[in-house]
Amino acid sequence: MRTARFLLVFLAISSAFCAAASAQNTDPQTVLRGAVDEVLGLAYDGKTDAQSLSVRVRPVLEKYFNFDSITRRAVGPGWRQFTPAQQQRTTTLFTELVIRTYADRFEAGTQPGITYAAPVELASTKRELPTTIDYAGKKYAVAYRMELISGQWRIYDVVIEGVSMIANYRSQFDSLFQQGGAAAIIKALEDNLAKVAVTSK
Amino acid sequence: MKLPSFKICLWLALGLAATVPTVRAQQNQQPDASAIAAADDDEYAVVRVYDPLEPFNRTMFKFNNGLYDYVLRPVSKSYVKVVPAPARDGLVNFFANLRYPIRLVSDLLQGKFKRAGLETGKFYVNTIAGLGGFIRISNDVPSLATVPSEDLGQTFGVWGFHKGPYLVLPVLGPGTVRDTAGLMGDYFLNPLHWNQLEHVNGYHWWWDTTVQATDTISTLPFLLSLYDEEKKSALDPYVAVRSAYIQYRDAAVKQ
Repeated sequence: MRTARFLLVFLAISSAFCAAASAQNTDPQTVLRGAVDEVLGLAYDGKTDAQSLSVRVRPVLEKYFNFDSITRRAVGPGWRQFTPAQQQRTTTLFTELVIRTYADRFEAGTQPGITYAAPVELASTKRELPTTIDYAGKKYAVAYRMELISGQWRIYDVVIEGVSMIANYRSQFDSLFQQGGAAAIIKALEDNLAKVAVTSK
Repeated sequence: MKLPSFKICLWLALGLAATVPTVRAQQNQQPDASAIAAADDDEYAVVRVYDPLEPFNRTMFKFNNGLYDYVLRPVSKSYVKVVPAPARDGLVNFFANLRYPIRLVSDLLQGKFKRAGLETGKFYVNTIAGLGGFIRISNDVPSLATVPSEDLGQTFGVWGFHKGPYLVLPVLGPGTVRDTAGLMGDYFLNPLHWNQLEHVNGYHWWWDTTVQATDTISTLPFLLSLYDEEKKSALDPYVAVRSAYIQYRDAAVKQ
């Protein structure tokens, strides 16, 4: 009885410590700053070459972006009609497309300046983090949407000047899905990636 | 107004969808992974666009693609080659500064008087300290650096006018009937179209043409790079541009 009580107290204390520690580690703004710094560090390390940047930036983006939920959200309710193999294939291809698109946005030359504004709470485990990107004399409003999944804040959408990346693909996937289901979505992704690979050489 | 009631329904539906996994989670003690996944799938509704003219719009979209690739891109490339970067930035800034009346009138018509004041401050700072608007000095003044720029299309949106059908115009690209009407108004508010050069000695008609062409050409490199990026990452470029345009304008109206 006594050991049980002791155990309970011990558990309560240690879990309180863990909660405090993880709350500190997982402030979404800190996570986002870390992600942005890591990406900029790679993009402006002098070895700028768009082809290799998308390869080099991949591990960083995979750490901070939740590509599973990005793909699921972009496809929408039709996702439930995909076979597990189709879901896997779509996630792999779409991840590749998002990473390439992201890497392409960095041009050699001046490094963009980034200002962070206060996070907005969308839900208890979701935040929107507005930032302003100052690039080549122009200012762009870029907001990152992040969610807390198993103790980690990860990015699930990027909203540039009011245009949500997921919402944009959601419209395209929807029209493809209505035309030919999962197969049409996978084919469109494959075609796009093949085309980009040819033109960038 | 149709829109708010639709939005309320959407939020209600989303709210209901969100409560389902919570209830199930409470029953099971642990959040059910499939319930969370189901809520994710429904989070983003498809951006609804009223596009009854789609066949016409798609034709115009193709026509514009050809125009960009075979006419405007070569023009833009030679322009970038001939004119050095600082001069190109200067020209973009100059013509943007000149469009001040569009922003001022739109601010006033929307009752955004503070913003009208900021726009005026920006105009004076850039015109006087920025050498006629060629240097955007206002970017260094924190209060003037990020003033959302308004136009008549946004004003009509704030007034509650319906967007009307989506409309792709030749050369000008994506728009809606509401934004096209706004664009026509903006045309008359743009000092470039006030024929002021006529009062200068030795005026020739091609002066106006040259100035207006310079305005257009100066914006090309940026617009084409934006367009290329959008096209490269798109699976269906027509749908992608349409969705991006509607989202962008909706966000601008809300600001």
